[in-house]
Amino acid sequence: MSSLGKIADAVDAYNAHVATEVARARTDIAFAADLRARWAKIRAGIETTHSPTGTPLPRLALPPTDEPGAIAEYLLGQGLPGEFPYANAAYREMYLDRDSEVGRVIPNAPVGAESKDQTRRVKDNPPHPQTPVSEEPMRLFAGLGLAEDTNARFHYLGKHQKSLRLSTAFDGPTLYGLDSDHEGVLGKVGEGGVAIDTVEDMTRLFAGFDLTRKDASVSMTMNAPAPVILAMFIASAKRRFGPDCVPNLRGTIQADMLKEVQAQNEVIFPIDASLRFLCDMIEWCVPNMPRWYPVSISGYHIAEAGATPVQQAAFTLSNGFTYLELLRARGADVNAIGPRLSFFLDCGLDVEYLVLGRVCRRLWAIGMRDAFGANTKAQVLKLHTQTSGRSLIAAEFQNNLTRTAVELMLAYLNYTNSCHSNSADEPFTTPTAKYATLASHGQSIIMEESGVFKHTMNLLGGSPGLLQLERQVEAGILAVFREMDTLGGVLAAQEQRYQRSKIQEAGHAYEQQIYSGKRPIIGLNKYITDEPMPSVPLARTSPKKQHLQVERLRAFKKKHAKSAPAALQKLENVARANGNVFAELINTVEVCSLGQITACLTNVVGKFRPMV
Amino acid sequence: MAPLRILTAVPICDGHDSAVSTINMELARHGFEVIYLGYHCPVSTIVRAAIQEDIHVVGISSYNGGHIVFFKEVVDQLRALGAGDVPLFGGGGGTITKADERVMQRQGTDRIFHAGTPLDGIMALIRKEYGRTLKPNTKLRGDRALARAITLAEQNPTHRPSPIAHHPPQKRTRAFVVGVAGPGGAGKSTLIDELTSRFLRQNPAGRIAILANDPSHPDTGGAILGDRVSMIYAQDDRVFFRSLATRGSLTGLSAAAPAAIEILRASGEFDLILVESVGIGQESDPFGLFGKKHRLVDAMLFVLAPYYGGRLQLQKIGLLNGADLVAINKCDHPMAHTARAEIAARLAANGKGQRLFGTVAAKHHDPGVDTLYAALAELGHLKVTPGGEKPCQLEVAP
Repeated sequence: MSSLGKIADAVDAYNAHVATEVARARTDIAFAADLRARWAKIRAGIETTHSPTGTPLPRLALPPTDEPGAIAEYLLGQGLPGEFPYANAAYREMYLDRDSEVGRVIPNAPVGAESKDQTRRVKDNPPHPQTPVSEEPMRLFAGLGLAEDTNARFHYLGKHQKSLRLSTAFDGPTLYGLDSDHEGVLGKVGEGGVAIDTVEDMTRLFAGFDLTRKDASVSMTMNAPAPVILAMFIASAKRRFGPDCVPNLRGTIQADMLKEVQAQNEVIFPIDASLRFLCDMIEWCVPNMPRWYPVSISGYHIAEAGATPVQQAAFTLSNGFTYLELLRARGADVNAIGPRLSFFLDCGLDVEYLVLGRVCRRLWAIGMRDAFGANTKAQVLKLHTQTSGRSLIAAEFQNNLTRTAVELMLAYLNYTNSCHSNSADEPFTTPTAKYATLASHGQSIIMEESGVFKHTMNLLGGSPGLLQLERQVEAGILAVFREMDTLGGVLAAQEQRYQRSKIQEAGHAYEQQIYSGKRPIIGLNKYITDEPMPSVPLARTSPKKQHLQVERLRAFKKKHAKSAPAALQKLENVARANGNVFAELINTVEVCSLGQITACLTNVVGKFRPMV
Repeated sequence: MAPLRILTAVPICDGHDSAVSTINMELARHGFEVIYLGYHCPVSTIVRAAIQEDIHVVGISSYNGGHIVFFKEVVDQLRALGAGDVPLFGGGGGTITKADERVMQRQGTDRIFHAGTPLDGIMALIRKEYGRTLKPNTKLRGDRALARAITLAEQNPTHRPSPIAHHPPQKRTRAFVVGVAGPGGAGKSTLIDELTSRFLRQNPAGRIAILANDPSHPDTGGAILGDRVSMIYAQDDRVFFRSLATRGSLTGLSAAAPAAIEILRASGEFDLILVESVGIGQESDPFGLFGKKHRLVDAMLFVLAPYYGGRLQLQKIGLLNGADLVAINKCDHPMAHTARAEIAARLAANGKGQRLFGTVAAKHHDPGVDTLYAALAELGHLKVTPGGEKPCQLEVAP
């Protein structure tokens, strides 16, 4: 049995344990009394606040019950926000407004009852100790043209954000580890993301931002060449902020090679070599970059390639467990690695998205605790969500604003730790400034203008609809785990193209549903208006800029023509001797381009053989 | 009329294969033969395949920009290689605008399917616009002429076309023809690609041809011919690669395969010709090795994975008896040890001097594949240049 079978068994065992405890709460008087006492204490500790219109509200909503079985069901089955098994949220307070007036509830008073205490201003009320520094969850993904163009977009987007959030999209050649002067890629340079060939480009990309700030966070959507790109990021930061800045760098790099093989298709090296380079990077980052998430285990691309929500969750979680196993086999400690993993899910409009984040947090926590023996810190699944790109369409594209807004609402109802909202013009272009701003403002309207998430945690958790959905989705995920287990686990299933064929089948079914009209898409197969397609400005990279990038790259190569061969030879030696390639890459990138490094490593480990 | 053959691909640095996968499945369902090249395809790979496969039309699915430049390069290279008559269409959801389409049409692209076009509409239009009978054409040269000769053989397998008329041989190389057979999933295609890499390294001027047979769908008549996708080394001008759908033939090869082999032999271009059968083993005799039939090949390589189902199943694999070389691929599998012993015993009992090899074709530079290639080269008197690893490639600006 692979670990997936053990994890599925652990979840079943945990669910059985909850059922037993619920039954015991209803029969064992002493246990019932304990639970009631605990419940009363929790309730007594809940602060209250007021909405701007004066409605008094609890900061945490709990099921309105005193029945011991229901209490046990809630505390064990769902967990308070920030408590095992984390169905409700990773942290206690999440998006609550910390500047609002907060008071204490009189013990045993009905929730929301008026009291003198509540009128007291408690401005200096400290946030719940579990909650990290107050930060907005918004992340806006940007990348276009050359490094200085994306840098300008970062500065523009930054005007709308409280803390420093730089989320980077790269162009095709960079994602495939090719230089901008590689044969046949010129038209792709700076398209769909930023072109990065060298450490000098990296410096231009983040110019003007203090990356060592406490509230700074950089994320990079970069996979196969992630070790090279992160090495450039480190080398560039060292040049700008001094050699000791590395522990202060904070952010995330995607680096999820399993989902690349299963769905997104940006793979350069054979699978075992890709995983080895990734593990080298993670192992280096864990002690040396304590504020960095070296892998973001992503369901986003799996869903965009066609997977159903259940498949997305099943493949993503199982990939996460696989990384953990690989690292453990190399001698890493689960408790050191666990807290450094982050997750990234897609949020579309299907009903399952109401609970997907909740179910994933719960399954991850149970699997980590009961199958991997991980401690509390390593059990918490930290989630980034992006609204669905596939749900956006070109026809009558302004409807996309509504689609994204609804998806954002679903994502926040899952208490995602961070979120990116897509721009309405994405079906035909890299976001233009206008629609990127609207996407950003969409998040602000939900989180700042609307009061929905400001006053009360756990708005819907434990409701009959959510519970029912959670059970069904969880059962679906466990069924996929068991199926992959019979195939020999994630890697064996992947070799048999299991994930790919499931994703393709689901994608095909989705298209069929659209064409048959079974899946209504407003403006595409339903309520079509004859409105002609408006001409919208496109963000495209001019040939002049593409040539400029090539010139810069050639100048870099010329400048380092003498030192590059020795640096590459050193890298090759480390790779052949099974040393930590990432540690060496931080030196190599000083004088070598991305394409030179890719060619060198390909020579050692070979090329990925594409899967259909 | 013979089925319409379409080449589909996704451009270089683009991994978006969701749309093209759906289109491929629909095309096959509608009875088309799809030669799929996969994602991240350079222009040269697409153009080479278009010529060698002699397709009716090329379809490119592009989702991450740069399409105007990319499509133009495909058209330009097709024209430069005398294949300007091969039409090109494309699609890219909303990423290719109507204005882009006008520019692309001026530069030679036939049409763009925009977001929201119903699949049935796309299928009907492809059939109507691109469904034509490919005819003999004495003006064709090089690989195009060879490819057309094979197309004519596919249209009429019983008629032996005279390739010489279309393709006066420049060279007089005597080809060594090897049949490659084995059960589906044993890794035949991967092994063929790895053998190709050894050939290319050791014969710096030679050419190799690969005939890859894949089954047609029994009901729709369509096929997805995906062997080119997983080829890393066979994407080379020194490789002539042709995919053949079986079109109802149940021998394990297309009915046109004998003629195709003859055409390739007669061209005098190739040192080595590899003919890959569909997944088979127990009954069929695709290469005419038993009985009194005409032998199609000079030698046969049988490839199987260690999990063939035990000794009894092994006894049923009749084709093993006709093999000159046998490869147990995936021999890093736990069952490989037993498999090796069982097959060795079987071959010894045959007493025909058949040779057995253990390979891991999926591994980079697998020494087992090296040994297998050396045996194959020896059998076919192919040139063997001791190759070493290529030095670290370094691109430095002049």
